[in-house]
Amino acid sequence: MKNGVVITGYGCLTASGSDAAATWEAILAGESGIREVETWDSAGWPYRLAGEIKDYSPRDLISDRKLLKFITRQDVIGLNAVAQAVTHSGIIEHRDGLADPTSFNDRTGVFVGSPATKYRYQHDYLAPLANAAGDSREFGVRAMEEVHPMWLLRTLPNNVLAYVGIQYGFKGANANVTAHGVSGSQAIAEACRYLKDGAIDRAIVVGYDSASELEALPYYASVGLLSSQGLRPFDRSRDGTVLGEGAGALVLERWDAAERRGAKICGEVLGSSVVAEAAGVLSVREDGDGVSRAIRLALKDSGKRPDEIGMISAHANGSRVSDAGEARAFTEIFGASSIPVTGFKWSLGHTIAASGAIESVLALLCLAEGRVPGIANLEELSPECRGVKVSATQQTPRSSAGIVVSRGFAGLNSCIVLSSDA
Amino acid sequence: MTEPRTVAITGVGMVTPLGNDVESTWSALLNGESGVREIAGFDASGFPTRIAAEVKDLRAEEFVEDRKSLKYVTPFSLFALAAAEEAIRDAGVRPTRATAERWGLVSGSGMMTMEFDFLQRFQREFAVDGQIDLARLGAEGARFISSPEFARHRAVAGQALLHKRYGIRGYSANLHTACASGGQALGLAMRVVRSGQADFVLAGGYDTMINPIGLAGFCLLGAISTDNDRPSSASRPFDLTRNGFVLGEGAGFMILEDWQRARDRGAKIYAEIAGEGNSLSSYRITDSPPSGDGPIQAIRSALEDAGETVDSIDYLNAHGTSTPMNDLSETNAIKAVFGDRANDLAVSSTKSQIGHLIAAAGAVEGIICALAIQHSIAPMTANLRTPDPACNLDYVSQGCRPMQIDAALSNSFGFGGSNSCLIFRSPQRAENRGC
Repeated sequence: MKNGVVITGYGCLTASGSDAAATWEAILAGESGIREVETWDSAGWPYRLAGEIKDYSPRDLISDRKLLKFITRQDVIGLNAVAQAVTHSGIIEHRDGLADPTSFNDRTGVFVGSPATKYRYQHDYLAPLANAAGDSREFGVRAMEEVHPMWLLRTLPNNVLAYVGIQYGFKGANANVTAHGVSGSQAIAEACRYLKDGAIDRAIVVGYDSASELEALPYYASVGLLSSQGLRPFDRSRDGTVLGEGAGALVLERWDAAERRGAKICGEVLGSSVVAEAAGVLSVREDGDGVSRAIRLALKDSGKRPDEIGMISAHANGSRVSDAGEARAFTEIFGASSIPVTGFKWSLGHTIAASGAIESVLALLCLAEGRVPGIANLEELSPECRGVKVSATQQTPRSSAGIVVSRGFAGLNSCIVLSSDA
Repeated sequence: MTEPRTVAITGVGMVTPLGNDVESTWSALLNGESGVREIAGFDASGFPTRIAAEVKDLRAEEFVEDRKSLKYVTPFSLFALAAAEEAIRDAGVRPTRATAERWGLVSGSGMMTMEFDFLQRFQREFAVDGQIDLARLGAEGARFISSPEFARHRAVAGQALLHKRYGIRGYSANLHTACASGGQALGLAMRVVRSGQADFVLAGGYDTMINPIGLAGFCLLGAISTDNDRPSSASRPFDLTRNGFVLGEGAGFMILEDWQRARDRGAKIYAEIAGEGNSLSSYRITDSPPSGDGPIQAIRSALEDAGETVDSIDYLNAHGTSTPMNDLSETNAIKAVFGDRANDLAVSSTKSQIGHLIAAAGAVEGIICALAIQHSIAPMTANLRTPDPACNLDYVSQGCRPMQIDAALSNSFGFGGSNSCLIFRSPQRAENRGC
């Protein structure tokens, strides 16, 4: 641990709960936040399930209400998770007690898993397009008159990164990862890199997304990725994923920096990996190639053997191919051993760029509490996933270390190795 | 822990408004040419700004062999494919079955992935009067979009095309911090090779925002120059009369590899990528503060990371956007870090000729630093005719300057406050340091 990266704060906001504790309790209780879409009238839509944030009230989710003019719904969600994690870590109280906080701020980094752009950002141009009636010159004139002057700034893919900096005054190394489903995990991995390189002493990490936007539902459905029934990981009846909204955030610190300020240590990030499958934009290899290489690399990075790992937080997005590939990778690496496997998307929906960060927070809670929640809607294990120890009911981790697997478009796979040892 | 590796640049590739490869871009740069013209790619006549630095005559068929892949290519991912291909060929090495897992990809890419044509069709189909018909979208939306179209809209589409084309199966990252993206991508790629996480990394940036929506966004902000009548001098960094940047587009990619491995295979080495400074200004979304706070930390960290001092830097490729605040803030940052030495330093902004390539800027300018080292020439800042008393460094404004460059520094600062500073060393200086 002495050269390691420790976790000193965390938070999340999901369809199932407004903070980490509420989300955790909901999952333990077998509750799902997936419902029919409520943010627009989806009557008659063939695919209308989503994991939306409940009772979304931006004014209650961030402290600086003036900001609301300059950011979008997903930015609000991301900033809320950051506020939870920062509060939990106590770093602001610590900094405010320093005679000169300059170095503290300069050595605090911000690493973000961002959803990049959204279809809905372009909707502001629909009225000028309609009004211009196909006249390209007229479109330019009308766009200047009808679209908000701050449009571009509201839609920046790095808004959460920028406003975490501005709100808290942090000025260290930063990255904004836009890598679809691995964004959140990769933000953790890159933060660890800069921490281990000694470029910074601590980092705010956040993954956020509002994946279940208006156009995303029909378009994801068009390529066969969505389920209209529900997200049922590893189940024989699984037929696709359900998109969701949410954010997860962690405060990571170099162990020596955390020790120096007497921080309460919640756990440790032991290792990480990101690998590509080179299969195409949307393709996923059925043999689990990317997942197994990502797990092996992350284990090597952490110095852990497979038998030292106590649980797996699987990507478990309900896709027929992806779940089966993961199952193959798990049995290949961990053998027929009894390592408990779970996933969280059945409750939260697939929050794409947020998922790795949210699930790392939840995996940490599993390890800390010694409880691996069941996949509540699991009825019959798919024959393609045979050998994987998933359950509808709670299991017990076999050690205090676990892995979090994330997968995304572009054949990306990531694995984070965590421990709850303090 | 193993000793960090030294990182060599062994291949470069570029598509820019000055030329569709490295050689044509470099010679146009030295000839003082401008890539800025009246916008030809679409009708911009209704916008306050009607000029940009567009890539000219790049044909997709020349770079994408199979017709199936062509369906997945957008204008900006085409820039990436063309620049990456040049870099790979130049380096004389490419992933094989045996090395694929030791090859990585790090790219900085743009924020605009949906094509304007798609938005127009969407409007005609689902928002005839400007309001979205929800029932119709729900019923017909899945039939409206094609699978390649859906794929093209992903922020990772270019990353996926590059993986697939070269069979890259190792580490991969796609970053977006606006105008700092390309610089941050090179910096991260350097760390990936340094730590041994990959032996080779294809690293760079690609972007275009020269489309009706991108142009509208910048026009609405008032961030770009409206000098429509004199395109070639519209981008004039550090000039008293500067009035905004000029949108550009393109891509730059490098092959980064372990120095020892490059030497062993007899590779041509352009330069060492020697240090990265990465900071956040945390001031305003569009600017760094006049004091240079933010960029100052990036420059200092890069020097420290490279083991260099202010005395050893010969050339600085500035972010130099030609906006009133950036150029002042950057000048003050250089003064704060370099102190008395600031006036001896050759500083130039190649955006004066190439325009601002946004997410690709840092990658292209990093390559320009490597070429400046290789050719012993500092490119110029074009169009600097009216000195700004507050911007009074040596901006190389009288034409490009033959000079020995052993260490060069490249700045990139983005909307949102991310700053990237990179340091490049000549092969000789790298060898003398005992790598």
